[in-house]
Amino acid sequence: MATLHVLSHSPFADSRLDSCLVLMSVRDGLLLSGDAVYALQPGSAPHAALRTRPAGARLYALEEDVRARALSAGDDVELIDYPRFVELAGEFDRVNSWL
Amino acid sequence: MATMKFTLALFSAPTSPASRRALRFAEAALAGGHEIVRIFFYQEGVHGASANLVTPQDEPDLARQWQDFITAHGLDGVVCIAAALRRGVLDGQEARRYARPAANVASGWALSGLGQLHEAVQQSDRLVCFGGP
Repeated sequence: MATLHVLSHSPFADSRLDSCLVLMSVRDGLLLSGDAVYALQPGSAPHAALRTRPAGARLYALEEDVRARALSAGDDVELIDYPRFVELAGEFDRVNSWL
Repeated sequence: MATMKFTLALFSAPTSPASRRALRFAEAALAGGHEIVRIFFYQEGVHGASANLVTPQDEPDLARQWQDFITAHGLDGVVCIAAALRRGVLDGQEARRYARPAANVASGWALSGLGQLHEAVQQSDRLVCFGGP
């Protein structure tokens, strides 16, 4: 079962991102939304942590949340809009939101 | 992608970005030809069903946008009754039952139990939850 993990809390405020990365398998995906996109900040500990995800696990970020925070994303991040979010929800077997 | 059946659950208040994300997702799902079996408003999400929210004019009125969206598409918007009562979100029947001075649930909403979420999930391909900030 491939799971799309959805994060919206800032990675600087709690340990959801770290817990999520530990649980991820190679077929899973991680979608950063809201303040969770701060994990894309180069040079930060959360940014380094993202690299520890299993090889093959895809990384996504909601483009409007990235742009709203004047961040940019590396080549390993797919910036998505809402129609693509809906598509991903269907492509993965389930969606796990870290509420 | 084949047509999917979604159930959405919203855990955050209409003042939260999560509520906005849920609404944008719901709009995109319908625009993509998918079906929304039910939208379940839980925990702080129940405030979206209150007709008494007054949002400053220069801020997006998510509660109103949710109500318009659900009405326009004839969707099944269900509010958790236990979560609603403890937050003072009452329909006429509950206001009478508990002798409270007013009902504030906007039209188009149904107060019901968690069983409605369970049932909707059984009828759906995916459950997508929105909550937190």
